[in-house]
Amino acid sequence: MSTNHHNAPESEPALRVKALELLLTEKGLVDPQALDLLVDTYENKVGPKNGAQVVARAWVDPAYKARLLSNGTAAIAELGFSGMQGEDLVVVENTPEVHNLIVCTLCSCYPWPMLGLPPVWYKSAPYRSRAVSDPRGVLREFGLELAPNVEIRVWDSSAEIRYLVLPERPKGTEHMSEAQLAELITRDSMIGVTKVTLDSKAGSQA
Amino acid sequence: MLRPEDVEQAVKTGGSTRRPEEGITPCFKPGDTVRARNRNPVGHTRLARYARGKQGVIHHDHGVFVFPDTSAHGLGDKPQHVYSVRFEARQLWGDTACGADAVYIDLWDDYLEPA
Repeated sequence: MSTNHHNAPESEPALRVKALELLLTEKGLVDPQALDLLVDTYENKVGPKNGAQVVARAWVDPAYKARLLSNGTAAIAELGFSGMQGEDLVVVENTPEVHNLIVCTLCSCYPWPMLGLPPVWYKSAPYRSRAVSDPRGVLREFGLELAPNVEIRVWDSSAEIRYLVLPERPKGTEHMSEAQLAELITRDSMIGVTKVTLDSKAGSQA
Repeated sequence: MLRPEDVEQAVKTGGSTRRPEEGITPCFKPGDTVRARNRNPVGHTRLARYARGKQGVIHHDHGVFVFPDTSAHGLGDKPQHVYSVRFEARQLWGDTACGADAVYIDLWDDYLEPA
């Protein structure tokens, strides 16, 4: 951290957001209290634990999994999840033969009701451009090396559909309960940049 | 204006841009070979530049949605079918791409032509 950080101006995006919020509030277009509630919702209430619940249920309940893959929106609503940026949800399944990866090359479209707000890297230009043009290179940087015969399907969610990856259930978890399984399921595995392993800890991701 | 007391409901409901399918005929069906048009509009579009002019196959018909190119500019909903289109990685990026890989892009009818 710089030595004069207490004098340093705020970052340009932060200043721009403040100016925009002030302007919209003064014009009567935005209620700052409503904004605070929205921010609180996505910072503290909605996050990858929702997605982990859905994936764990799909792992233990084949009928639920079938419904999830045929109509994602309806299936997550069964568990009480719905809303903004999840109005039309498609769930894609990883198998030993097919690995799915989610990106929005246009901006940062992301399944909010399942995963909360996207991580910074998901919104970055390098991820957005390389996920489609060099998915294997991107996965390697996340520590995932896939065999050349595994088919990678990249889903560019730049239209109105939002995607969620249903990761593979790791071997050695046959004895685990749905709640224990949910603890293993990370945000990154539901974007498709990693797999779920026995060592994954859903709570510790940045 | 969104009021604080309405935030919870708004978050739960969202706002789908899906529209009824009645009377809106799809131009394509799953399995059809298509080409993404080489359109370069000045305004908003969801047609990714890397797909323009490239050939793909309709994977799935998602149904009817508002057309962003017009709605973003206040020019009406122009609702039409949106398809998941599969583009082979080599079709998009050439021979250095892995032959097994593909990119699926959701594209509106107006973005596509038969190939």
